[in-house]
Amino acid sequence: MSANLIFHNIDEPGLNTLEVFQRRGGYGDRLKKALQMPREALVEELKASGLRGRGGAGFSMGMKASFMPKGAMDKYLVCNADESEPGTFKDRELMQKIPHLLIEGMIIGAYAAGANQSFIFIRGEYAQQADILEAAIDEAKAAGLIGKNILGSGFDLQMWVHRGAGAYICGEETALLDALEGKRGNPRLKPPFPANQGLYQGPTLINNVETLATTPFIVEMGGAEYAKIGVQNSTGTKLISISGHVQRPGNYEIELGMKSRDIIYGLAGGPGEGRSVKLWFPGGSSSPVLTGDDLDLSYDFDTLAKAGTMLGSGAIIVADDTTSVVDVALKTAEFYKHESCGKCTPCREGTTWTVKMLQRIKSGEATPMDLDIIASVCERIIGNCLCVLGDAMAMPVGSMVKKFRGEFEEYIEARREESERALLASVGAVA
Amino acid sequence: MPRPTPRTITFSIDGREVQADENMMLVDAAKLGDVEIPVFCYEPKLGAPVGACRMCLVEIEGIPKLQTACSTPVKDGMVVHTQNARVKEAQEAVVEFLLVNHPLDCPVCDKGGECPLQDISFGWGGGKSRFVEPKRHFEKPLALSPLIAIDRERCILCYRCVRFSQEVSEDYQLVLHERGAATYVGTFDSHPYVAPFSGNIIELCPVGALTSRPYRFRARPWDIEGGGTVCTLCPSQCNVHLTVRDERVLRVLARQHDGVDDGWLCDKGRFAYQAIHADERVTAPMVRDGGVLREVSWERALGEAASALGRMHGKVAALAGGDTTNEEAFLVQRIVREALGGQDLDSAPGIAARDLHALARPDLQASVPDLEFAHTVLVLGTEPVDDMPIVDLRIRKGVRRNRVKLAVATSRPSSLDANAALSVRFAPGGEAAFVSGLAAAIYGGDVDGPARAAGCDADALRSLAEMLRTGAGGNDGPPTAGDVVILYGQRLLRGTSGVAQALQKIAGGLNIVGREGAGLLAVPDATNGRGIAEAGFLPGYGPGYVAGPEGRDAAGIADGLRDGDLTALYLLHTDPIRDSGDAPGWDAALEKASYVVAHAQYLTEGVREHANVVFPAESHAEKEGTLTHPDGRVQRLRPAIGRQDQVRPEWQVLNDLAGRLDLDLGVLTGAMATTQLVEAVPFYAGITLNALGGTGLRWPATDPGAQAFPEPAADPAGTDGALAAATPSQGGRRENGGVSDLGALRLGTFRSIWASPEVEVAPALKFLAPRQKVEIAPADAERLDVRHGEAVTVGGDGITVDAVVHVRANAPEGTVFLQTGIADGSANVLGGPLVEIVGRDREPAVVGAPAAEADAEPDSAGDDTVPSEAPTPEETDAHRTDEVDASPETVEGAPADQAHNPEGEA
Repeated sequence: MSANLIFHNIDEPGLNTLEVFQRRGGYGDRLKKALQMPREALVEELKASGLRGRGGAGFSMGMKASFMPKGAMDKYLVCNADESEPGTFKDRELMQKIPHLLIEGMIIGAYAAGANQSFIFIRGEYAQQADILEAAIDEAKAAGLIGKNILGSGFDLQMWVHRGAGAYICGEETALLDALEGKRGNPRLKPPFPANQGLYQGPTLINNVETLATTPFIVEMGGAEYAKIGVQNSTGTKLISISGHVQRPGNYEIELGMKSRDIIYGLAGGPGEGRSVKLWFPGGSSSPVLTGDDLDLSYDFDTLAKAGTMLGSGAIIVADDTTSVVDVALKTAEFYKHESCGKCTPCREGTTWTVKMLQRIKSGEATPMDLDIIASVCERIIGNCLCVLGDAMAMPVGSMVKKFRGEFEEYIEARREESERALLASVGAVA
Repeated sequence: MPRPTPRTITFSIDGREVQADENMMLVDAAKLGDVEIPVFCYEPKLGAPVGACRMCLVEIEGIPKLQTACSTPVKDGMVVHTQNARVKEAQEAVVEFLLVNHPLDCPVCDKGGECPLQDISFGWGGGKSRFVEPKRHFEKPLALSPLIAIDRERCILCYRCVRFSQEVSEDYQLVLHERGAATYVGTFDSHPYVAPFSGNIIELCPVGALTSRPYRFRARPWDIEGGGTVCTLCPSQCNVHLTVRDERVLRVLARQHDGVDDGWLCDKGRFAYQAIHADERVTAPMVRDGGVLREVSWERALGEAASALGRMHGKVAALAGGDTTNEEAFLVQRIVREALGGQDLDSAPGIAARDLHALARPDLQASVPDLEFAHTVLVLGTEPVDDMPIVDLRIRKGVRRNRVKLAVATSRPSSLDANAALSVRFAPGGEAAFVSGLAAAIYGGDVDGPARAAGCDADALRSLAEMLRTGAGGNDGPPTAGDVVILYGQRLLRGTSGVAQALQKIAGGLNIVGREGAGLLAVPDATNGRGIAEAGFLPGYGPGYVAGPEGRDAAGIADGLRDGDLTALYLLHTDPIRDSGDAPGWDAALEKASYVVAHAQYLTEGVREHANVVFPAESHAEKEGTLTHPDGRVQRLRPAIGRQDQVRPEWQVLNDLAGRLDLDLGVLTGAMATTQLVEAVPFYAGITLNALGGTGLRWPATDPGAQAFPEPAADPAGTDGALAAATPSQGGRRENGGVSDLGALRLGTFRSIWASPEVEVAPALKFLAPRQKVEIAPADAERLDVRHGEAVTVGGDGITVDAVVHVRANAPEGTVFLQTGIADGSANVLGGPLVEIVGRDREPAVVGAPAAEADAEPDSAGDDTVPSEAPTPEETDAHRTDEVDASPETVEGAPADQAHNPEGEA
């Protein structure tokens, strides 16, 4: 069943303006309520809601906020709007159509974190959305919703939009912080975690756009009430982006725990006439792939984890039976090879090596033994890297080689014969 | 911040119980249990670990993922596995990944045989290769600089060199370009990486990606021998390891000593070894014959020197400097005093011996590591990167890692300004007034008067005093000074005793006398300035600051030679024409001297023109003996190569010379000279060559030594008298030195790190040998209508030097700075205190004309065309790179102005 919380009225003209947003209840009683709650009580509400990070890792937002140290010091809230995972485009629509919801969520998030300074790190390609956000921030500032003593609560907050330079790695939270500080966007070692030493070494709460945009509803409904939406450990609604071989691609808001088939076929219309789902990424291109046999899985964090994959950012990419798995694997690997920052060895060298092997398969110069090497290289990347980018290539590619090994082998044989024939023909032509 | 005191904990590694300091990184703690964890990117000298190479992955019970041992602090009860199948698999994986794109060109790689990548591949690698793809290719090798070659194919992107440039030397030149597997190390815009400490990246590189161009293809590890000694090219006295092949030094490596150099070397120390084998070096005794110096036998040189000196009994004076060892200084002062009837010896020109004695008190001494852990460090009247380079890195480290508060008080803008919480400027010539003003500001006396005389802002002086007084903050009480280290240039002491008095007063006022982790640290002019003085090479003092008969100081010796009261001069590793502040005066004195004996490695001007006998001096690779570091550490020199050509041990030369003068020194080995020295210097008690070993001993921190220090006598002028004398009556431009008022500029001088004969003769370093430049503020340049890069003459009273204009955005107005210690056009020919600048190309008629006649020149300049180019951006002087246009042709263009810009001025 689809749900309607964040995206309620999403297509109403002018929802991106303060006036319409306020008319629809934005910045109203729920914000006042949040700012009048003691900070700890707000964090407790967030915990009670069961809200898990919507950016990919799925860590409890309330827990994360509770890690922020108490006491007077410079603390920061950073909104991760570097939405770059292939297949993911939910935050883009959210920021474009209801920027004030994000701003309201950031005020609540910053209050929960005890932060007086906040940043929205938005990917450079989202220029239009950044413009919209900046305009919205100006409106909110003029209305006294950002700045000193918000709604008479005594809480101060400043907010800036920072445009990234277009590197996928800057969506990794510590690389994002480095980039925000003006450095090369490379991931940092963890620990220390951002809640202890984040932006400018200060305690920092980093959350995804959707996560922050959900908080006003949690305040409005109360954490316990919000937790009733969805299923256990996967509460609330989720924005999902469906793309690939479906008839109605786009963003949908669902209640977590919906059956995957209902999403892919019900909401998105499934693949075209006469085609079937061959494989699908349940949570962005970094999630291990599932097959057409897995369509009855409940779409929630725990079920997908149990199936060896993950909900990730909620981006479903569907490939139908006309697609070659080799192409999917190569495309995926090439993306991560291109985006690897190069800081740690397994990711830098492992992604490059995997791409070279897959290219060799494509060009008919591989043997089935190379599949073992790809599998082994992927295994050797997973868990050994500085951040999760290496894993983000190794997990889906590794899963494809494992689940579609037969197809890979057939492909290798076919391409080898083809290239041998071509070679003989060229020799024959010369002779 | 004070040094932390760690708690000891117990952890288990591969089944062994090991004790270690809490929070030590696991990779270091493992060594205590004899477990080696392989690393590439980890290097604690570079600061916080980055965890990039992933070579050190280990399993820690209770943590699901493998952890990098380089970044995991060890905790009590931790259980670590480094040998199990899971860890081995990860280690093999990382080695395999590192090798997939490595060219494996070990047979032609300089690093072969001493390569961590080779060692770790052997020790932890899988031993087989599955990679059949084409490898990554780069153009190679390229000149990263005239000194360093870069081979990007070999690079494993461990980040060490970039971290060094960014976080240790802070020259900010090396960066990583591109991303992923295409990442490569380089400089912005590919300009050459020229910086004072650039060579350290060669040693840091764990593969053969960065190699020394002078050493490239000269030797393999199995061809070489080596020896540890001490670099004698500056007062830093860094510990070095010399690589030797066939009796030639081929390379200098750092021999890490945390108490001295922290494991770093400057490029002068690293590459000037070539000077040892340069053609310019004096390697045989020489005698002046028919007006020119000719090589002769030792017999003849010793004989002539002895008979001439003997004839002039009672009229012989001596100067010592440079890398003179304690023993050499001790023996020469014996010869002069015991065999030649002289008392006129000096090794610290312009500085009262009494002041040196007073400031050498053990309870005033700070050590080098104190710079790193103090609450506050004051850099006073010295530019560390030029005067004692390695200390520059130590100060930066303290500020960066331990939040040391840094104050800089100099007349010339300092390269440390960017790191300083407070920078205060005073006018050249205002040093004494400044220091006495600081004493007054700390004690609460008249600050405005001295500040005016010093040409400095009185409020800045008060802020400085406040900062020094309150560095440690206060827990519920009034703030205290805590640990303050004052690093002062010994040249401040020149000319007046007030500075020494004021420094002592400041130390007293800050309560740092006898305080552990705090005190004063001098930057002497000569490498072994402290040791030479302690060995008795001072007027009125015998060895160990034991008072003796009065003698002339350097200025008195020059006067005496000019007046004929003295007739002979003994020069021990010093050339007053190059090293003193008064070149014309010494030129006249040497001209008048009947006989000059010199120990020298190179024929610098004074030696070449005036010496009657030259004894070849040993280089630090050949010498044995001891030096005393400015912080009181007695360090041992050990020969690494045989003496070149005719060079003999100088103790032996001195013993032979003394014998011919009927003085039996009784020195038959180098060690005997040390024994005599130690017996003569009370506070060296207990020091033996064995005890010094490879790391030396700080006598101010040893028990018998510190007790035996002779108490300095009170200043006859009294504290206040000396302080009053330190405050000159004028600080402005009244004493005009024959220069018109209008164009007059105050003259300040500095000596670059590269101003030394070794840099001039070492082929690899020649391109860095400085040429005279005049640093001037943009406003002055505009007023005088001189442009950046323009050739000018600077001087007054008819004496000028040629220089190139260098506009510095943060140079103080009304003051120019010129270099000393350089071969051509050194500023020490100028009398000062005021000079004027004349454009060389535009007004040739004025050159050499009496300065007063050039009166109207700067004024009329206002009507001329406005300078077409804007003043170039400020560059950090310490990382000055503009000399590079004399570099080998491999370097394209001049890398000027690439260094970081401390104040963001442009």
